[in-house]
Amino acid sequence: MNHLGPIFRALLRNKVGAVLIALQVAVTMTIVVNAIHLISSRSDLIARDSGLDESNQFYITTIGYDQNYDARYVTDTDLDSLRQLPGVVDAVQINALPMSNSGSSTTIKNAAGEDAGDAGAALYYVDDHALNTMGIELLAGENFNATDITWREMNKGTMPQKIMITATLAQSLFPDLEPEQVVDKTLFNGDDEPMTVIGVIKQLHAPWVGWGNIEHAMLVPQKSDSVYAHYLVRTEPGQRATVMPEALAKIEQRDVGRMVLEHDTMTQVRADSYRNDTALQSILWAIIVTLMLITALGIVGLISFTINRRRRQIGTRRALGASRGDIMSYFLTENLLITLTGVVIGGMGSVGLNIVLVNNFDLPRLDYIYLPIAMVCLVVVGLAAVFGPALRAAHISPATATRNI
Amino acid sequence: MFFYYCRLAWLSIRRNPVLSTLMMAAIALGIGAAMTTLTINYLMSANPIPGKSEQLFYVQLDSWDPNQPYAEPNEPPDQLTYRDATNLKEARQAKLQAAMTQSAAVIEPKELGKKPFMAYLRLTHNDFFELFEPPFLYGQGWSDEADKSGRLTIVLSKKTNDELFDGANSVGETITMMDREFEVVGVLDEWQLKPRFYDVTTGAFNSMEHGYVPFKLRETLEMPNSGNTNCWKSPDGEGFQAFLQSECINYQFWVQLDDADAEQDYMSFLNAYVEQQKQLGRFPRPLNNRLSDVMEWMENQQVVDDDAQVMFYLALMFLLVCLLNTVGLLLTKFVSKSGEIALRRAVGASRADLYWQHLVESALIGVGGGAGGLILAWLGLQGIKSLYGDNLAGLAELDLTLVAIGIVLAIVSSLLAGAYPTWRACRIPPASQLKTQ
Amino acid sequence: MLTMHNVSKVFRTDTVETTALQSFSLQVNEGDFVAVTGPSGSGKTTFLNIAGLLESFDDGEYKLDGHSVKNLNDKALSQLRNQKIGFIFQSFNLIPDLNLFDNVDVPLRYRKLNKAERKQRIEHSLEVVGLANRMKHLPSQLSGGQQQRVAIARALAGDPLFLLADEPTGNLDSKMADSVMSLLEDINKAGTTIVMVTHDLAQAERAQRHIQVLDGKVTEQDKQAAVVSPLRA
Repeated sequence: MNHLGPIFRALLRNKVGAVLIALQVAVTMTIVVNAIHLISSRSDLIARDSGLDESNQFYITTIGYDQNYDARYVTDTDLDSLRQLPGVVDAVQINALPMSNSGSSTTIKNAAGEDAGDAGAALYYVDDHALNTMGIELLAGENFNATDITWREMNKGTMPQKIMITATLAQSLFPDLEPEQVVDKTLFNGDDEPMTVIGVIKQLHAPWVGWGNIEHAMLVPQKSDSVYAHYLVRTEPGQRATVMPEALAKIEQRDVGRMVLEHDTMTQVRADSYRNDTALQSILWAIIVTLMLITALGIVGLISFTINRRRRQIGTRRALGASRGDIMSYFLTENLLITLTGVVIGGMGSVGLNIVLVNNFDLPRLDYIYLPIAMVCLVVVGLAAVFGPALRAAHISPATATRNI
Repeated sequence: MFFYYCRLAWLSIRRNPVLSTLMMAAIALGIGAAMTTLTINYLMSANPIPGKSEQLFYVQLDSWDPNQPYAEPNEPPDQLTYRDATNLKEARQAKLQAAMTQSAAVIEPKELGKKPFMAYLRLTHNDFFELFEPPFLYGQGWSDEADKSGRLTIVLSKKTNDELFDGANSVGETITMMDREFEVVGVLDEWQLKPRFYDVTTGAFNSMEHGYVPFKLRETLEMPNSGNTNCWKSPDGEGFQAFLQSECINYQFWVQLDDADAEQDYMSFLNAYVEQQKQLGRFPRPLNNRLSDVMEWMENQQVVDDDAQVMFYLALMFLLVCLLNTVGLLLTKFVSKSGEIALRRAVGASRADLYWQHLVESALIGVGGGAGGLILAWLGLQGIKSLYGDNLAGLAELDLTLVAIGIVLAIVSSLLAGAYPTWRACRIPPASQLKTQ
Repeated sequence: MLTMHNVSKVFRTDTVETTALQSFSLQVNEGDFVAVTGPSGSGKTTFLNIAGLLESFDDGEYKLDGHSVKNLNDKALSQLRNQKIGFIFQSFNLIPDLNLFDNVDVPLRYRKLNKAERKQRIEHSLEVVGLANRMKHLPSQLSGGQQQRVAIARALAGDPLFLLADEPTGNLDSKMADSVMSLLEDINKAGTTIVMVTHDLAQAERAQRHIQVLDGKVTEQDKQAAVVSPLRA
C-alpha cells in the first residue's frame, strides 16, 4: 500500500473515468440494497404460517342454480359423503377460504358500549369439524359440539352465542390476559350483541393476505344455506392427489341442481394469493443480476481503455523495474479506491432511497445489515471486473517504453 | 451532411464491434427495463374514457359511524347504501345517473350439451349505457319502464352472446337464469375498460361482466351481491329487507354532469339530501359528501399499484446506471478517435461539424439500443405476464404510443450519454494529435 | 500571401513557461517552395501549427491572403483551413476505415460542394498523384509512399492557396522519399505554394527558399533576396 499516494494523485488527474465508475457503483448499490430489502421483506410475508395443514388440504366451491335446490339437505349429505371418503381426515363447509382474498369481517369489542376496546376480525362460519379439518390446535377452552351448530340464513346479521377466536385476537382484545383467561369472556359484535368465547385457537389466517390484522380470526358455529358452498377437505398425509379427483367426482355426480364452480389445493390458493409478491421477487432478482453484470462490464470497458492509454507508461514502469505483481496491484488498488468511494456514496443513496420508499409506499424500513453485505459484494465484483484487464496490463512488455508506435 | 454523418457513424460502430455491442446492450437493457415497467404504470394510470372522464362523477356520501371515519383522514365511505343509491336515482337530479353493484347467477343454456355456467352480472340502471357508452352490436339498453318494474331483461356481452347464441343477433330471444326467462334486449361488442373504473372495489383490472340487468332485481329477485359489503352497524331486524335497508354499503353511483354549474348544483342537491336524511336520524357524521371525476376517483382509489410504481422508479435508476455505463464507453471510443478528429479539424471541420458527427453516432447507437430495448421490453412483458398471470391481464401490452416513447427515450438517453464524451472529443487540440500516430 | 510579423507563442503549464516562438517574422509569396529547418525544439512545428491555424499565438500579426487571422472564431478559422490550406503530415493521417476516394473526400465534405464536383476533384487529384486506379482501396493496402501520395491528393483536392508539409518524407525510405519530393516539386511547378518543415538538409536544398529556425526565431534567410523587407521597413 506504499504507493497509495501516487495512485490517488493519478486518479485526481484523470477524474472523469473514476467518477463514472464510482457513480455507477453507487447507483447500483442503491438499487441492489433496496431490491434485496424488498425481496426479503416479501419472503417474510410469504413464509408466514397460516395455521392450516395446507399441503394436505383442498377445496371445492359449488353453487346451486335450480329452483328446487335444497341447500341444507345438499350441504349435510355432501359433508357426510366427503367425510366417509377413504383417505379423508375430515371436511367442513366454510364461508370463506383463508388466504383466498375474499371473505367477511366484523368489528368486535371487549365490552358493551361505544367506548370499549375493539378489533377487526375475519369471520369463518364453520361446524364442529373445523379444528380437525383445518389442523388447528386448541390452546384453551373447548371446541364447538354438534348441537351448537345452527343454520345461518342469507343476509342475516345475528351472531350465535358461542365463538372461538385466535390467540392473537384474544391478545389484542385483552392485552393483559393469558389465552386460558380469555375463555368464557363475553365479547360484543357491534355495540350490543354479546358472544361468549368458548375456545382460543393457536393460529388461523384471515382471508386477506394484505390485511394488517391477518392473525385476527373468529370461528362462528354456523353453516350457510346460501346457494354458494365452499367445502374444505383435509386428507391423510400424501393422499391429496388421489383423494381430490374422487371427492370432486362424488360432488359432480349428484344431480341436485348445482354445479362445481372451482376446486383447487390450498397450496395453490397460497401461491395465487402471494403471486404478486413472488413475481416482484423474481423481477427484482433479474434486476440485481443484470445490474451487477452491466456494472462489471462497464468497469472492464473503462479500465481496458485506461490501460491501453497508459501502455507506454506501464512499459516504462516495467523497464524501470516494476514487477508484474506491482502493476497488478497498482490497478487493483486504483479500482479499490474507486469502488470504495462508490459504495460509501451508495450506502448513503441506499438509506436515502429507502426513506423515500418508506414515506411514499408504506414499505418497511431498511435493515442496516444489508449495507455492509452489499458493499463487500460490490467491491468483490469491482475487483473481479478489473482483474482481467489488470492481468493484461501486467503482461505489457517493458520494450513498449522504447517503441515509437 | 446528415447522411455523410450516418455513414461515418456506421463505419465507426463497425470499427469496434465489441465496444459498440456493449454500449447498445447497456442502452437496450436500460430501455427494456424502463419500458417494461413504464408500460404497466402507463396502462394502469391510463384514462379509460378519454372523451368523458371530466363529465362522469362518482358520488360519495358520508353515512358512516359517528365515532370514526370510514378511513383516515376523514374519508367518506367508498360505496353507498342501497337506500341512498335508490333515492339518488329516483331524485334524477343529474343529466344521467346509474347505481350499480356486482352480482352473479348461473346461466342454463337451452341448447342441449351446453353446460350451465356462472355469469358475473352488473345490476344497474339503463343510464349506464349512456354514461359509459359501451359499443352495441345488436339492440340497445332497456327502457325506463323496465328499470322501474324490474323487468327480466338483459344486455349480454359479446363473449356471452357468442357462447349462448354463437354470435347471432339474439335480441328478442330469452335466456334462463335463476329459473326465470330473461329477454335479451341488447348485445355489446368487445368492451374492456382499463381500468374498469366504474367499480374498482371488485378489482380495477378484472374482465368485464357477462351481462347487465336492471338494478331493481336486487330487491325483487333477491339477487346475491358480490363485491365488498361493509357495515358499521348491524341491520335493524331480520331478513332480506332489513339487510337491504341497513347502513351496509355495497353500491356504486355515477352521474354525468356536463359543466361546473351542473356539478355545483348536484353537490348542493347531495348536501340537501343528506340534511333531509339527518332529520330521519341517519347520517350521524358532519356533512362530507364528495363528487370525483374519473381520474380523481382513480387517484383516490390508488388504482396504480404501489409495487408497479416502485418497480418503475427502480427501473429508471437502472437506466441511469446503463447511461453512466454508456457515457464511459463512449468516452473510451471517442477518445480513441482523437487522431481522426484532429485530422478532420486540420482539413477544415469546425467544432460544430464534429459535434454533429458524434451526436449522430451517439443517436445511432441509441436507435440500435432502443430497438433492442423494445425487444427486451416485449420479452420482459411476456415474463411479467407469466409471473403475474390474470392479476395483470391486459396490462402488459405494448401499443404504438409506447413503442414511440421507447424509441424517443432511447435516442434522448443516448444523446444525453453522448453529450459529454462528444464535447470532450471535440476539444482535443488538433495540433497535439497530428504529429505521431 | 502568408505574412507573419513578430509572432510569439509561449506554452505555459503550472510550473514551466516555454517560449516556442519569439518575434517570428516571415513572408511567403505565391509560387514559393519554402523549406523550414532547425533542430528539435527550435519551434518549427509551432510555426507550422500557427501557420496552419491549428494553434493560436500570443503576440504579433499573422495575415493570410491579406486578412489578419488574430480574432477569428472557430468557424471562420475552420473555413480558412478548409479553403486555403492543404496539410501533409509525417505520418500521413489517413482515416483507416475510409477508402482512398473517401479519404480525399474529407475536406471537400466540409466545403459543402455538390456530389458531381467532389467526384471530379477527387478523381483529378488522385490522378495527379498517380493513384486514380486504386480509389476503392483502403489505406492499409498501400505502401507508405503511396499513402503519402493519397495525403497529398487530399491536400490538393481542395485547391488550396498553399500546402503545409510537416516532415512529409520522415516515415519513408529514401527511394519513396525521393519520389514524394519529386511530386511536391511538380506540384510547386504547377503553381501551388508549398511550405515544408524538414530536418533533411538535402531536401531543404531542393526547395526554392530555405529558412532556418533556432530558439523560436528565423535566424537565416535564404538564397533569394530579402523578402520580408516591406514589413520590416
